[in-house]
Amino acid sequence: MRVWASLALALLLAIIVAACAGHDWASPGDVLRAIAGDPSLGARLLVEWRIPRVLAAALVGALLGLGGTVFQGVFRNPLAEPYLLGSAGGAALGATVALLVPLAVPQSLLLPVLAFAGAWGATILVIGISRVSGAVDAAGMLLAGVAMAAILGALRSFLMLALSDETVSLQIVLSWVLGGVQTPSWPVLGLMTAISAACLGLTLVLARNLDILGLGETMATSFGLNVNRFVMLAVLAGSVVVAAAVAFGGLVAFVGLASPHIARWLVGPLHRPLLPASALVGAIVVTVADAIARSALPPAEIPLGLVTAVAGGPFFILLLARRLRT
Amino acid sequence: MTALVADKLTVKRGNATLLDGLSLSLGPTGSVAVIGPNGAGKSTLLKVLAGIEAPTSGRILLGDRDLASLSHAARAHALGFVPQHFDPHWDLSVGELVRLGAERGERVPQESVNRIVAAFELSGLDRRRWSTLSGGERARVLLATVLVVDPPVLLADEPAASLDIRHRLDVIQALAARGRDRLSIVVVHDLDLAFSFFDRIVLVDHGRVVADAPARALLDDPRLDTVFGVRFERLRTDDGWLLRARL
Repeated sequence: MRVWASLALALLLAIIVAACAGHDWASPGDVLRAIAGDPSLGARLLVEWRIPRVLAAALVGALLGLGGTVFQGVFRNPLAEPYLLGSAGGAALGATVALLVPLAVPQSLLLPVLAFAGAWGATILVIGISRVSGAVDAAGMLLAGVAMAAILGALRSFLMLALSDETVSLQIVLSWVLGGVQTPSWPVLGLMTAISAACLGLTLVLARNLDILGLGETMATSFGLNVNRFVMLAVLAGSVVVAAAVAFGGLVAFVGLASPHIARWLVGPLHRPLLPASALVGAIVVTVADAIARSALPPAEIPLGLVTAVAGGPFFILLLARRLRT
Repeated sequence: MTALVADKLTVKRGNATLLDGLSLSLGPTGSVAVIGPNGAGKSTLLKVLAGIEAPTSGRILLGDRDLASLSHAARAHALGFVPQHFDPHWDLSVGELVRLGAERGERVPQESVNRIVAAFELSGLDRRRWSTLSGGERARVLLATVLVVDPPVLLADEPAASLDIRHRLDVIQALAARGRDRLSIVVVHDLDLAFSFFDRIVLVDHGRVVADAPARALLDDPRLDTVFGVRFERLRTDDGWLLRARL
């Protein structure tokens, strides 16, 4: 119980600090007054721009924590991360098309939709390839994922070279690939919250079978689990979660890999507590990282994925070293 | 009570024939040791009987039902399988492992869980993690996890092979003792243990049953020497026989 209270409190603190942080720092009092309905311009900016952005960052982190946990559980590999099966490459390709190809749809709508379609489509292709080639086990899927990532990366590079000119800058593509949470309107934020809650529910349904799969394929089969079918279903579900994260926040490095490990240290390896704990850890990490991204080098904004990798990497190594020593 | 019948089982993997039209009729009670040289098909036979691998041809009857027609949950509840190697990927605690075992198939009441935990002397280990257990403790946890649903048929691929002699005897005795009122089928590598503790011996070679007889009857059988490619000296002891192999 104490672990859950601490995690919830840490997330609350992270959200408050992140709401204060930015180009112009606000005090917690300002934030409270703004939420209470202060009509001043500063307060309206906080309510319309900064607070939705902070909450969106928390949701992106939670989704990455969930996705990472599912992928590590399915592949029973501590190095598994949510972008493993081509979803990063697919999302980046979709975003590149949205950003560089002039289409008659507003970019704010096209970008998340194409990123989602790219991320999920790539994973479905990977599963399809591994089934057609007869390699339906986890190792076959991983190899197909690596091949798919290479193909998609090459396609994206080609599109970037072919389509960029003086009017369309490569920089916007690059900055999307490095990750960044878009500021949603309040109705969109509500939609994001509903989707994230659905993702939590979806992954919790997988929890018990992920535990059983962790006993090894032979034991899992003797416990009545149809291993190949479950692996495929779990990968499909996990990649929906990741695709949602990518659509909202671009490619945010490292969070999906590290959050499940930190959560496992806190609540143990059973997936029913692990999934929500990993979501909370991911939410805390991305909320803080996004605050740093917005406020470290004003008026510029550092891409979020760079912050999570540069700040999160050493922090994770430190945790790992302390963990191994005890 | 459930009998287990294997009917002309054949398993082919690529060019290799692992089981070659093997038939066997077992149960509903009894302790059966499966013996044979390396590569005879013992482990494959056990996995096919447990429904973990599907045979290329042939079928398995569990009671009067075809094993292939049973639901996954019903099969998991009726057939307990103890693998030769068990290494859970996540560092679960003893209590978590036994509860995962109890949650398969139908509901298992908490008293049954407590009873099995007590029977395998695991009461003090509930919160200990797998990585901190000794080999003997791991074998007991594995057996408790599989046996917590009290399956009518147990298939064990000698899980004790790497244990010291004391723990090995413990495990083999526990497995053989289940044969009194259940069906217990165990791949045993130590022939003396097989002949000492089991009612019935199935000798397997080249994916076929070479001999299937009560332990006492098979002891003198010359096919034992042929299949293992050695000459056995049968030594009389106070309470049975010892086999000493000579090349």
